[in-house]
Amino acid sequence: MPDMIAAEIMKVRTRWLLYVLFLVGVAGAAAQVWLFGYVAWLTERNDSEFEYGISSRLTFSFPYSLSALLDTGQFWGALLVAVLTASMVATDHSWGTVRLALARGQTRNQYLTAKLLGIVAVSVVMMLAVFAIGVVFSLVATAVAGESITFDTRNGPSAAEVPLMVLRAAYAIVPYGMLAFCLTVVGRSTALGATGTLIYIIAESIVAPLLGALGSTGEAFQSLIIGYNASALIAANRSGLLEQNTLAFRESGPGADVPDVWVATLVLAAYSLIFLAISFQVFRTRDVRTTQE
Amino acid sequence: MSDDVVLRTRALTKQYGARLAVDALDLEIRRGRVYGFLGPNGAGKTTTIAMLLGLLAPSSGGMEILGHDAASEHATALRRTGAVLDGLGYFPHLTGRDNVRLWARLNGMRDAARIDAVIEIARLSGRADDKVRDYSLGMKQRLAVAVALLEDPELLILDEPTNGLDPAGIREFRQLIRQLAADGKTVFVSSHLLSEVQQMCDDVGIVKHGKLIAQGEVTTLVQSGTRLVVRATDPRALAVLKQQQWVAAATLEDDGTISVEAPADKASDISRVLAGEGIWLSELRAQDGSLEEFFLDVTGEETVGA
Repeated sequence: MPDMIAAEIMKVRTRWLLYVLFLVGVAGAAAQVWLFGYVAWLTERNDSEFEYGISSRLTFSFPYSLSALLDTGQFWGALLVAVLTASMVATDHSWGTVRLALARGQTRNQYLTAKLLGIVAVSVVMMLAVFAIGVVFSLVATAVAGESITFDTRNGPSAAEVPLMVLRAAYAIVPYGMLAFCLTVVGRSTALGATGTLIYIIAESIVAPLLGALGSTGEAFQSLIIGYNASALIAANRSGLLEQNTLAFRESGPGADVPDVWVATLVLAAYSLIFLAISFQVFRTRDVRTTQE
Repeated sequence: MSDDVVLRTRALTKQYGARLAVDALDLEIRRGRVYGFLGPNGAGKTTTIAMLLGLLAPSSGGMEILGHDAASEHATALRRTGAVLDGLGYFPHLTGRDNVRLWARLNGMRDAARIDAVIEIARLSGRADDKVRDYSLGMKQRLAVAVALLEDPELLILDEPTNGLDPAGIREFRQLIRQLAADGKTVFVSSHLLSEVQQMCDDVGIVKHGKLIAQGEVTTLVQSGTRLVVRATDPRALAVLKQQQWVAAATLEDDGTISVEAPADKASDISRVLAGEGIWLSELRAQDGSLEEFFLDVTGEETVGA
């Protein structure tokens, strides 16, 4: 299995798509820290209406910036991972390499497991690299603003909390990655996996608030939405913080209506397992055809 | 399964709705032989190969590959099998060498010398470090052969491996297949190049509408269609020959000879019958049939399709 995973990584690390997605992530981190943080703060700091630009300062200033970076990173990271996942799965179908892999004695379970673990490995490295660059942006912006760089702050996260915050954000990406994986395995199409996940993310960001306003029945359905549960994990990263600017289009700031974090964790796990089960069941039993058959 | 038989199908069937793509196919491929799998377009060749390689699930019937029952040990059997699939099966953004390396890695192999060896066998050494997207179709086919040979498989299953090869490439490929057979490997190859199959294969099976309609040694099948060529100056010869019960057909060719479809041992009868009518022969010889003639005969096709 380690060799199969290494081969999966070898397949994707030589493709330009991975680096384009990485650069998109870096651009997002730069926009988050510099545009929505530092530049906004320069504009707002002398304007009493903006409370001395406190939300923009918390957006770029280390270590407050970490929660904002992870918030944006989870939201847009879900899309980047969906595109990467869809591409890594579907290209094996379009190039016919899935047929040769199976014809050479890989079992279907081995093939799909190696594919999944390869996607996880590449996604983790890509997203951690984007996060690290975002942190560097934040450190530079904090220094440029003349503030001290320290974890010793009031209400800011401690160094010990950072790994848990990263884990929460990463965990909230998993069901979207699994959704993309499932859609692509079933549909054998990059477009279906990537756009299907994108459409779902847009749809849930529109529908979730509407359901919340429809009373108890609406709230029951709202509690089943992936994004609503993901918000609980992101909100946990913002504990004790005031409002921050973010590129994520959802409610997760102070006072946001989010479910209990453990319930949300279980709901997201359930979705991930369901998507995984569908993927394996379909792939294990389907005919892997060419257009000639 | 006898040690001599490395691949056997028993009533192998694949059905798509009401359509039978493969109909109760019984194949038997013996060790060290090159088996040609022939059939017109849509006969079920690719579907059969896809079932052998575990890509399609049979609707019914069974397969044994290298002593393993495919129902329970298909992956085990396939790890000792090399495959060249019709069409794709490579990573265009990687070099040829990286493609071979990647497929080796997928099966846990890191033997750099073997990787170089199969690239050499496939005559790709000069272009091994070029991206595969820049390869010609023939080079891609050779790359597929290199990958198929990586683990030194006992059985090779090749689906239209000569597609896209130029005549020199086809000749080299034929020599490679014969060499592999001489080394004790068994080769199962589908192709529509009947003259190549005739030269390359020991045995053939012909399918039509998913059914096996002929199977046997190439030499036997070709001889079963033996024709006799008769040249006589008397124009009555054609009519006389057509009257004989043991003559399946007799036709006057453009060069003035009469082509007689009859068993080879009837040559003396032809001579006797015509002499009895006062017709004297200037030529009487056997003409070996070709696999193409046999194929067209048993399939009822007018041309050989891919």
